[in-house]
Amino acid sequence: MKKGGFLGVTAAVFRKDTSSEIRTRYALNALFLFTVTTLSIILFSFQSSTVPVQVHAGLLWVLIFFAAMSGLSRTFITEEDRGTILLLKLSTISTPVYYGKLLFNVLLLIALTAILTVLYAMVLPGFIVLSVPTLCISLFLGTVGLASASTIIGALIAKANARGTLYPVLSFPIVLPLLLTVIRATTIAMEQEGWDAAMDEYRVLISYILAINAASYLVFEYIWKD
Amino acid sequence: MYQFLQDNSLYLVLAISLMGWAGIFFYLKRLGARISRLEKQDKS
Amino acid sequence: MKVFQAILGFWLTAVILCAFLFPIVPEITRWYEFPVIPGLEQKARILFFHVPLAWTSVVGFVVSVIFAIRYLRTKKLDDDIRSSSAAGLGLLFCALTTITGSIWAKFSWGSFWNWDPRETSIFVLLLIYGAYFALRSSVQEDDKKATLAAVYAIIAGVTMPFLMFVMPRIIASLHPDPIINTQGKVSMNGTMLTVFLSSLAGFTGLYFWIYSLTVRLARLEFKRSSEGE
Repeated sequence: MKKGGFLGVTAAVFRKDTSSEIRTRYALNALFLFTVTTLSIILFSFQSSTVPVQVHAGLLWVLIFFAAMSGLSRTFITEEDRGTILLLKLSTISTPVYYGKLLFNVLLLIALTAILTVLYAMVLPGFIVLSVPTLCISLFLGTVGLASASTIIGALIAKANARGTLYPVLSFPIVLPLLLTVIRATTIAMEQEGWDAAMDEYRVLISYILAINAASYLVFEYIWKD
Repeated sequence: MYQFLQDNSLYLVLAISLMGWAGIFFYLKRLGARISRLEKQDKS
Repeated sequence: MKVFQAILGFWLTAVILCAFLFPIVPEITRWYEFPVIPGLEQKARILFFHVPLAWTSVVGFVVSVIFAIRYLRTKKLDDDIRSSSAAGLGLLFCALTTITGSIWAKFSWGSFWNWDPRETSIFVLLLIYGAYFALRSSVQEDDKKATLAAVYAIIAGVTMPFLMFVMPRIIASLHPDPIINTQGKVSMNGTMLTVFLSSLAGFTGLYFWIYSLTVRLARLEFKRSSEGE
């Protein structure tokens, strides 16, 4: 592992995760199939009935939440499972590792959300958006927040047993404020024009992101050393 | 009988609450005494 | 300690007696009378018990987070014992809050549960406590368990205020607001406020009494289990 500054290590961890993901394509494949499966279930259950916009906003975020729950915990769990966490511990310090993994998770979830939203809009004609900028901003902020919360919880449960069931159980109460706000912002995007219609929601989302990242920054070291 | 209970339901609830509180209070006191005894045993 | 217990015993007995025996009248003429709260009437008396329970469940959460932070700094298992005991008691009080609130909601709103913002917040607090203990039970080693639980408590403590802030904006609440009295939904007179605040103090005292007992018990348990090894 290259010895470098803070950013160097962060970038190195990020590159390592990305290239191992590109080599196996495990997370991407699994998440893509997960998306297709859930979308088709939604399609079958809706048939051709029309549903209110709140339901669309809620469903979209249910999809994103569970996609995040099934994909994002892997970054830390694979290190534990393969035993590579020891090497990582030896060659680096804690915080850049966390940020490298966070960056990887954020980008993975943003890519996934983009694909998911486009697919959702394509197959469900009831999903009409009045303000695309509002939708993009709220999707972006919501995704970053969700990825931040998932990363720290993922780091937590990598150390615990019964990870698969524990992950959504631990994450749900943590991300609920974020989900409620972002669903509201998405509903506003479908109902009102103008990018600043959901200004209050952006503020809440941004402060959530800042708070959860500050907390993660402070506590990650303790999980890492353990 | 039922009429009497209905008219005095407030006092009924009060009596039950007081009994519950008394129960909790004496249970906690007893628990405290037992824990103190165990702590003494551990020390000696 | 003995004095504290005796005072607490009399204190809460007095609170219970006052809460039930002081009459609720439309026109207040004497010092021991409570005003009628429209829509609540006799049901208003639950506020002397339900609100302090909710308060103590939040106190339990805060105490748990404080000792979680202390554990991460000192790495003494005693701080973890304090943190987890506080959380366990918080869970108990949280469940009691939910039950009393639910019974009251049945008679005031017509159903036991209807996802009022307050109900949702207390539900999420229950979920957090549940997740906290699920996490604890999934780890065997004591220090690892303590560290992970402490980290989770801190993360939950950071995000919980958001819920308090976000929830009322999403759905309009029907919940009477006894402390922050903005819309004048609940108008307490001095007597009512005194009994209410005394109850709050009494329940907090009760919380710390049970808390000290649980901590001492958990310490004994820990000592026994580590000696047995």
